Amino acid sequence: MLPQVLFQNRKPRRIATMEEYCRSGGYRVLEDIARGKYSPADICRIVGEAGLRGRGGAGFPAATKWMSVPVDGAYPRYLAANADEMEPGTFKDRMLIHVDPHTLIEGMIIAGYAISASKAFFFIRPSYDSSAMILERELERARQAGYLGDNILGSDYSFDIILHRSGGRYICGEATALLNALMGKRPNPMKPPPYPTVKGLWNRPTVVNNVETLANLPHILRNGPEWYKGLARTKTGAGTKLFCISGKVNRPGCVELPIGTPLREILEEHAGGMRAGSEFKACLPGGASTRYLTKDLLDVEMDFDSLSAVGHRLGTAAITVFDQKTCLVGVTLNLLQFFARESCGWCTPCREGLPYIRDLLWRIENGEGREEYIPMLRQMSRDVWNAYCALAPGAASPVESLLTFFEDEVREHIRLKKCPFSRPR
Amino acid sequence: MPRLVIDDLQIEVPEGTKVIEAAERLGIMIPRFCYHKALGSAGACRMCAVKFIHGPFKGLQMSCMIDAQDGMVVSTTDEEAVAFRRQVIEWLMMNHPHDCPVCDEGGQCLLQDETVSGGHGLRRYPGRKRTYHDQYLGEFIAHEMNRCIHCYRCSRFYQDFAGYRDLGPMQIANRVYFGRFRDGPLESPFAGNLVDICPTGVYTDRSSRYKARRWDLQRVPFLCIHCSLGCSTVASARYREVVRIEARFNESVNGHFICDRGRFAYPYANLADRPRRARVDGEDASLAEAVRAASGRLDQISMNAGPDAVALVASDRCSLETLAVLKRISREKGWRHPAVFPRPDLEHKTRRAVSRLDRRLAVSMRELESADFILAVGIDPVHEAPMLALALRQAFREDAGIVVMDPRPVSAPFDFDHVAIAPAEIGGCLSRITEALSALQADSAAQGKETRRPEAAGPLRADLDSRIAGIVERLRGSRNPVIVCGTDIVRDSTPDRAADLARLLLQLKARPCLFFVLPGPNSFGAVLLAESPGRSFSDVVQDIEQGKVKALLVVESDPFKNFPDRERLERALDRLDLLAAMDYLPTSVVGRAHIVLPTCTVFECGGSFINQEGRVQRVEPVHEGGIPVHQVSGGGHPPRVFSHEVPGGEIEAAWRTALEVAGYTNARDNLSILKIMAEEHPGFARCRDIPTSRSFRVLPDAGDRPPVCEETGDRAAPEAADTLEVVLVDRFFGTEELSGYSPVIQNADSEPLVFLHVRDAEPLGIAHSDWISIALEGGGLEVRAGVSAQMAEGVLVIPRHRLLEWQKLGPVPAQIPFGRISRAGKE
Amino acid sequence: MIPEALKRELLERTARAEHPREMAVDVMYALQGYYGYMSDEAMEEAAEIVGMTPLELEELATFYDFIYRRPVGRYVIRVCDSAVCWMEGYQSVVDHLTSRLGIGLGDTTADGLFSLIPVCCIGYCDRAPAMLINRKVYGELTPEKIDRILQKLATGKPAAGEE
Ligand SMILES: Cc1cc2nc3c(=O)[nH]c(=O)nc-3n(C[C@H](O)[C@H](O)[C@H](O)COP(=O)(O)O)c2cc1C
Ligand code: SF4
Ligand code: SF4
Ligand code: SF4
Ligand code: FES
Ligand code: FES
Repeated sequence: MLPQVLFQNRKPRRIATMEEYCRSGGYRVLEDIARGKYSPADICRIVGEAGLRGRGGAGFPAATKWMSVPVDGAYPRYLAANADEMEPGTFKDRMLIHVDPHTLIEGMIIAGYAISASKAFFFIRPSYDSSAMILERELERARQAGYLGDNILGSDYSFDIILHRSGGRYICGEATALLNALMGKRPNPMKPPPYPTVKGLWNRPTVVNNVETLANLPHILRNGPEWYKGLARTKTGAGTKLFCISGKVNRPGCVELPIGTPLREILEEHAGGMRAGSEFKACLPGGASTRYLTKDLLDVEMDFDSLSAVGHRLGTAAITVFDQKTCLVGVTLNLLQFFARESCGWCTPCREGLPYIRDLLWRIENGEGREEYIPMLRQMSRDVWNAYCALAPGAASPVESLLTFFEDEVREHIRLKKCPFSRPR
Repeated sequence: MPRLVIDDLQIEVPEGTKVIEAAERLGIMIPRFCYHKALGSAGACRMCAVKFIHGPFKGLQMSCMIDAQDGMVVSTTDEEAVAFRRQVIEWLMMNHPHDCPVCDEGGQCLLQDETVSGGHGLRRYPGRKRTYHDQYLGEFIAHEMNRCIHCYRCSRFYQDFAGYRDLGPMQIANRVYFGRFRDGPLESPFAGNLVDICPTGVYTDRSSRYKARRWDLQRVPFLCIHCSLGCSTVASARYREVVRIEARFNESVNGHFICDRGRFAYPYANLADRPRRARVDGEDASLAEAVRAASGRLDQISMNAGPDAVALVASDRCSLETLAVLKRISREKGWRHPAVFPRPDLEHKTRRAVSRLDRRLAVSMRELESADFILAVGIDPVHEAPMLALALRQAFREDAGIVVMDPRPVSAPFDFDHVAIAPAEIGGCLSRITEALSALQADSAAQGKETRRPEAAGPLRADLDSRIAGIVERLRGSRNPVIVCGTDIVRDSTPDRAADLARLLLQLKARPCLFFVLPGPNSFGAVLLAESPGRSFSDVVQDIEQGKVKALLVVESDPFKNFPDRERLERALDRLDLLAAMDYLPTSVVGRAHIVLPTCTVFECGGSFINQEGRVQRVEPVHEGGIPVHQVSGGGHPPRVFSHEVPGGEIEAAWRTALEVAGYTNARDNLSILKIMAEEHPGFARCRDIPTSRSFRVLPDAGDRPPVCEETGDRAAPEAADTLEVVLVDRFFGTEELSGYSPVIQNADSEPLVFLHVRDAEPLGIAHSDWISIALEGGGLEVRAGVSAQMAEGVLVIPRHRLLEWQKLGPVPAQIPFGRISRAGKE
Repeated sequence: MIPEALKRELLERTARAEHPREMAVDVMYALQGYYGYMSDEAMEEAAEIVGMTPLELEELATFYDFIYRRPVGRYVIRVCDSAVCWMEGYQSVVDHLTSRLGIGLGDTTADGLFSLIPVCCIGYCDRAPAMLINRKVYGELTPEKIDRILQKLATGKPAAGEE
């Protein structure tokens, strides 16, 4: 059996209770903290040694982010747990909440302690209303048990978590836009400096972490950094990762696997392989804003470094698999439709450039394509990289990789004046 | 100071300067839409991309987002940067209409310029253009959202910079829409600036729409004369008509913006019923004839009744030129020195303020923005000195504390502590603050000595004590405090008390800290030229009543506007042997004058004004005088009547006509106006060397003069508990004389309210916006009441609004017994 | 006007928040729950509760996907149109729904019961094609399953949660 860390309390069709979480060693780290075993600096050091990298998409080392909160930074300080999870193909954060909410809650308290925050916001997307209700209930239980609130477990540390339901937009997941959303402002991103860890919510130091990142914390502190690093299958990787597999495989779903598990193994052993009659054509290895990854790279180890070494990104580790019958122009058009719709409207390349790209793709897919659109698309997918935030560059990734790996397929559309695939119905 | 290279040119700039700004200093204008000096960087348009070749940043970057740093090498002409910028333009033009010919922004449009200079000329995008519905945003500004390129300048100005909350971005993605929750007039009195800052034609000036292209306009750096601040503007004229006012950047005064009063007041210069022909005894005459008639009759009266029987009346909208000439001729002719101020107290307070200001004390409006604590007394910023409110907001945005001590229901686009006390109490509070502060200072200087508690200066309410203590604490704790003091509603000695406090602060903090607001655009100049003690118009009225004055020469002044007892005024004027009026406005005085001598507006003859901080600003004429072409030809063009003369073109500046009336002629006396000015006040000698658009201050150096506080007995607070003290006030629209003639402002103005405190209103059964009637000396006044808890008790705040017959008030200062205020039947 | 009790509750919650504005979306959800959608009147009421101007609140309301500024049906059916669902049969789900309900995308049935609107990936890609009705998610949709769901909702029986 594979090491199950975040999912160790996974029950079929049921949520692990707080008692079950405690029985598995839960809240012990918090007790240690209350007893004074760790200082905030200790936590940062241990998590740093464990090599925990952010699970929200960018892979930024968690401890480094925490330590960028200035020592003399103002109070109160805040933590924001990012459960916006609107990257198409991604549903790991939802799984996490539905499997073992308390590992998340304890993780948040630990992170809050590490940065001396007194309050956290749990930012959750509206389509996860059932998850939000679970969390509300479990947060109350944790409060009753003395894990949250004033003077946690009799210590002088006080911390509470407030659930914030988003109004629903992809851009709200971007860390700085999320802060604006929390403050009741328009969720446009804010380019640093100042960094949120210096001036975030209401100009106070604020750390934004993905919920999966946070869920790792109790386990790292319980078992030590060496153990954590040892979980990974690559040298530079650390820990496990929740992979979401969707698309043309037999068993779509979310599995916890060691970081660095090869893609082929994930698809074949943990997702039941390709569906009958389907052949692997390409996948998006880390959500909609990563590049198409083709057959020749099926053996790549799914780790931040290994993927970037071959020009790809782990992103959210949401693997969407396409087969030979799927029109990738169609998929790309669909993705661009998403990105163009979700652009926050702040900067020109994204607000105007993405609809432009979408329009050209639509024409190609619908038989109105022209040869000159190809260089235009190529140029524009490069130019949107100069956008204000990472949304537009993310949107460009499928377009650019479509033209790189599947140019023939695009040209075929133009030549035939129609889509050569029967549209999926 | 970082040193960097841009396009092979080296430059050193202060820390924190953005690269786009550093380039501008080298004369390299990097294309931009969202970046604006006053609004800062937004990084939204991506138009300012340049190539970073060496240094901490590499590759294509936005020059508005990056601070200049040592060792940077930047190219603005790099091929990649140029190509990217061309792409940005294509994206922006994707949805932008191609109808520049019918857009009022055409010819002054940043998007037009940068589309052309960026080299985007061919449309490649095969899709359709996005369209929006427009909104009605009030009388001033037209809205054409299809032209928007989403630079967010408007919302950043409107909300962040100016602090108003009814215009902003809505929707998402490529549907983002800038507008209001629903159609309706924009609430901000600074909304007109949207016209200037929007880089496209989304917001255009309705008052000047479709009148001209910018290249057809006579555009001249100009000056706003609608309050005492003297903001810089650009005035534009066409076909002998002023058509538009825009804000002009002024480092020390208004920064980049102006208020809507300043922007939309100009139509007074174009009025069809402006006096254009001289008149003698009701008959049209040539200017020369009228001058001769005036001259002759004045001399006659001088001879018969003594030169003392002739009085001059001017106002603070007269230029320095006019005031200097009036001073000169009054002296030479022996006529009474011009009375500029309507009331003696205004004259007194202005003079005190001016005499207390010196080089070390005076802060400019720009410097005010960096204050960290501001105590504003006897001032309602938005209404009395609009741009001051915007300056205060900038200080507030940098966390300055602001206290406003004023009886009115002050509201402003920043948070402040309001100490709502009656005018009589303000001076006392200032003295107490000064005493407490200097006592604390003495204590800390001589520690160990017994602490001396200052006596309260006068009988003040107990609940004020803690607030005063709070102000003292904040003054002590601040690095850069500023005292702002108004001159309209305060008691006579208040300006001196404000200056005393400022002097103490100067000792403590060694920074300039005094900012006065004066009654009008040239009040400062008027008192510099005034005899001492000066006379106000009410003295003149008295002298007429006593038969001492038989003739009045009223120059660009309308006593009917501001004299509080209309009946008495009419009686007095009727007694005169001669009423001669010189003006460019169709005032009531012009209407009843025996001799009318039309004059030019500042647009037509230029002029100098001194603003409230002693800054002399001089402007050139925008266009030559004359009746607007469309009035001459009845709107047709070209005019059907041909002549060698410009219709209405014989009119001159008031100072010229005044000289002629006094018997000077230019040819004979060869007097240069600059010479007269320099002779009348040595401070004006510099006017000669100063080009327009530059200014200088006529302030004495510090220390030349010890403060002479003339002890004047201030009027005490009214004793009687059953009366309300009338406080006459200015209002953003409707009280300032010139803007009152502007049709567009008249349309935009709201109904004037007379304010009283809830606790005063309740016993009378008066609720907010009820009609009330007030029995005044001169008759009943029916008006809507404003009832507020955010104001002083015991006062009745009446705006000198042109639609209110407040001139029924009778003698001022006035107390109104409660019994004379009642709810009116009117609904 | 919203009931006094609801208003009081919202005012209390807003007062408890560190900054009233944080509550903007929550308050809009509450009023939307009461009115069905955010009418202009609802916007003004909500703005007053959180101490914002209607325009400031409108800036948010029109940004977010789940605040409805136009009337919607009692059940808002939001069909996922993102990549996985699209690949797994989004179009046939929409076709089925439009023919059953007799309305197009973006419309509301005449009886005011159903609105049909696309939505981007709702995070149930492992059970594509998926849709959201009000707050509940339905996955692995087939025509039969859709019929059963519509049937249940139309007859007023509580919709069985899939999750
Ligand atoms: C357009 C966009 C959307 C994002 N959405 C999410 C999201 O839904 N959840 C998330 O955790 N991070 C998201 N991110 C990444 C966040 O900006 C941020 O990096 C992350 O929350 C930090 O957490 P971590 O360091 O724990 O990964 C998004 C980024 C971008 C540019
Ligand atoms: S790239 Fe620009 S428009 Fe797009 S989401 Fe980011 S900031 Fe908004
Ligand atoms: S309306 Fe004008 S100022 Fe406002 S965003 Fe559009 S282009 Fe910019
Ligand atoms: S603040 Fe005064 S000077 Fe400035 S524009 Fe307004 S009226 Fe004119
Ligand atoms: S001017 Fe720099 S991004 Fe707009
Ligand atoms: S693509 Fe439909 S739920 Fe994710």
